[in-house]
Amino acid sequence: MSLPLRARSDRRGPSPLAWAALLAALVAIAPLAAAVMTALQPGAHSLTAPTFLRYAGASAALAAMVAVGATVLGAAAGVLVGLHRFPGRGLMAWLLAAPLAAPTFVLAYGYADLFDVAGPIQSSLRGALGVSPDLNVRSLWGAGLILSLAFYPYVYLTVRAALAHQSASTLEAARTLGATRAQTLRRIILPLLRPALAAGAALAVMETLADYGAVSFLGVQTLTTGVVRAWSVFGSTAEAARLALPLVGAAAVLLWIERRSRQGRVSDAARAKATPLALEPLGGWRGLAALVFCVGLIGLGLALPLGWLAHQGLSVEPDTAALVRAGRNVLILAVLGGALTLGLATALALGGRRTPFLTRLAGLGYATPGAVMAVGLLAPAGFLWRGVEGAAQGLGAGVLLLVLAYASRLTAAALEPIGAGLERVTPAMAHAARSLGESETGAALRVELPMARGALLTAALLVFIDILKELPATVMLRPFGFDTLAVIADRYAKDERLAQAAWPSLLIVLIAAPVVIWLNRQVSRTARGVTQ
Amino acid sequence: MPLARLFNRRLTIGLGLAAMLSLPLAACQGEDGKRDDAPADAGVVNLYTARHYDSDLQVYEAFTEATGIRVRRIEMPASEMIERLRAEGDASPADVIVIADAGAMGRAAEAGLLQPAASDDLVSRVPQNFRDPQNRWFGFTRRARVVAYDSAKVRPEEIDTYEELASPRFRGKLCVRNSDNPYNISLLSALIEHWGPERATEWARGVVANMARPPQGGDTDQIRAVGAGQCEVAITNSYYFLRMAGSENAADREIMQGVRLGFPSLDGRGSHNNVSAAGLAANAPNRANAIRFMEFLTEAQAQGVFAEVTNEFPTAEGAAVPERMRDYAARPVDPLPMSAYGPRQAEAQRIFEAVGWR
Repeated sequence: MSLPLRARSDRRGPSPLAWAALLAALVAIAPLAAAVMTALQPGAHSLTAPTFLRYAGASAALAAMVAVGATVLGAAAGVLVGLHRFPGRGLMAWLLAAPLAAPTFVLAYGYADLFDVAGPIQSSLRGALGVSPDLNVRSLWGAGLILSLAFYPYVYLTVRAALAHQSASTLEAARTLGATRAQTLRRIILPLLRPALAAGAALAVMETLADYGAVSFLGVQTLTTGVVRAWSVFGSTAEAARLALPLVGAAAVLLWIERRSRQGRVSDAARAKATPLALEPLGGWRGLAALVFCVGLIGLGLALPLGWLAHQGLSVEPDTAALVRAGRNVLILAVLGGALTLGLATALALGGRRTPFLTRLAGLGYATPGAVMAVGLLAPAGFLWRGVEGAAQGLGAGVLLLVLAYASRLTAAALEPIGAGLERVTPAMAHAARSLGESETGAALRVELPMARGALLTAALLVFIDILKELPATVMLRPFGFDTLAVIADRYAKDERLAQAAWPSLLIVLIAAPVVIWLNRQVSRTARGVTQ
Repeated sequence: MPLARLFNRRLTIGLGLAAMLSLPLAACQGEDGKRDDAPADAGVVNLYTARHYDSDLQVYEAFTEATGIRVRRIEMPASEMIERLRAEGDASPADVIVIADAGAMGRAAEAGLLQPAASDDLVSRVPQNFRDPQNRWFGFTRRARVVAYDSAKVRPEEIDTYEELASPRFRGKLCVRNSDNPYNISLLSALIEHWGPERATEWARGVVANMARPPQGGDTDQIRAVGAGQCEVAITNSYYFLRMAGSENAADREIMQGVRLGFPSLDGRGSHNNVSAAGLAANAPNRANAIRFMEFLTEAQAQGVFAEVTNEFPTAEGAAVPERMRDYAARPVDPLPMSAYGPRQAEAQRIFEAVGWR
């Protein structure tokens, strides 16, 4: 049925949309291509096989721990909130996504200090018991635990969204056929949720593999810290890029999993009738247990580490002027970067529909470790610096470069929600517009985008939050005197002054939290049958 | 326009917000509001620095006050800085490069990113072993990489050499950070230079055998672990110890009660030291200002700020040392030129890998 469209656009050559998509793909792929080219350069092999295996093993173990941890926690929270009624459910429903507001390095600061051998917990235990138990979070286990708590919201959100798209009739049929609550959960709900769990877990694992801030602070040596080590100690960008290739490969696999599971979900959504699921009341101790579980999750994922950091921060005088400047800087970057990334990702989503390979390639940037992207970004940045008079000096050129860097790294993050939003617009609607005389670009601008505007806003806000937390590209490419909150936090942490690092860290969370909560509310509004 | 209607108010608000945010941005020229109040505009000096201490901000302000030259800066780790300078090439705006490790500074010089700075003041003020033989970089603050120890369990003479840190006396009783750290790499580089690779490898193996826990945290965390009784000795930079000993935080002072700083000696010649160094960028567009800035770092005022605020030892001949750190600053320093650290970095890292020092 798309035959007439294709014939028409072929006759006229590529539409403006297709050109825009190509441009967007170029921006997104350039750093990754540069990084791969760096990796292929001949260079001294300073890395021994056992060391490589140790890094890869740690990355794999961490990914496995987070896959299990984040999935179990996120699924439990999603099913509790999505299918049950218990005291405090409304509040919990929107607070449960809040840990996404905190950069992982901030959680790592808080936990490492809390559980340090000279920290409050071990010190008081030593005082009370005479011995201190080994509660060290600066370990593989600690990192697995902290990252699970940081990333369970991905699974929580995908599960909530999936439940919102399920029709009540399936569950009712199961119950009328005599299935118990446990049987319904095991035989009906969990199989239905499988694609959502896979998608959420894939996102959590992708973030885990690319994480540098938390693992390096916790002293866990993974492929990402290996990348930085190869770079900073051996001075070998080629070695660094080579170490990153397995990560890019893993990202490709994870994206494929995520995409496949989303396809399943969409077809369900199309069929689902708007009969919202009835919430099962949890009375007495069950309700209380559900509440305690949710409060515990939010407490461990956000309140405890942040509360401790805030407590530490209160003992020092913050450099208010610098914080205000850094806050202003990062807001400028996040707004501009969010807008540009949204534009590029939209062009790619609309114009790249006939070239899915291009879109998928552009998606790889998201899961590539920031340090590797930074290596890759330097090559195109070098062209700008050397080719344009004054570009290496100027503030404007510096900001532009950073915004482009964010766009190339985060286009994939924006692509996911935009793609999902556009899939809800059926081809028939676009066809109707075309038959009424709209061009392909016109149909996209005047029909499809307005219908998917909720998804566009979601995408822009996701990028906004990621830019708030971004570190490696900002550190490396920023212009003179242009610090962000994350840069300041990192500087204090490197100087081993956690109390000072607490202030910028908390500010990041304070700015991001309302946005995260708003995004989460979008999900729960969909759950009540309100689509946009 | 339909597209505009689609975003209607949100877009308007967003654009308005962006415009509001960029107004102060355009006005402030990206630097710390230092545009009108300088005595006379004598241009700028563009600084790339890997240091991250508050003392430095005070020194920049003092420099602008004294010379009218504004300081524009970007802070980033040494490896990122080296790559950025490479990518910028001839177009690089960098005038002065500051790195808190003689080894990494040597790598920058080796990569052709620095040029000799012709300044008699710098050459006469900074002792030969604290600067590059070709005068491409000059150390302006010094720190000793020494030992914090539990005075209840360790006698000072048990740690008066680096060899003793690897002896069975401290099996399971030593804390040290990981081997990515430039200060550890430069320490092992110096040991290789003195002892040769075999003996240095044996030493590193002994230290690994003595570790009370897998390497983790920064130097401050190692000192705290001594205070908490998890280890008896910890390898640390001197300024972290001095900062904690003088801390206003009650918990820090409490934990520091029984912790002392010991200065092991390398073959009887002195302790291993490192410097923060400033180098003249290869393509410095403001060359005269750059040299003026480097000279300022070694003058009495700046040397005093680094000592007071960051607890680093001065490198300039005859610079004053605050009373509370005079004893520590007077300890003998290994006379090996620090330019020897750079070429040994990769070898040191290979030894760390081989002996399992993570």
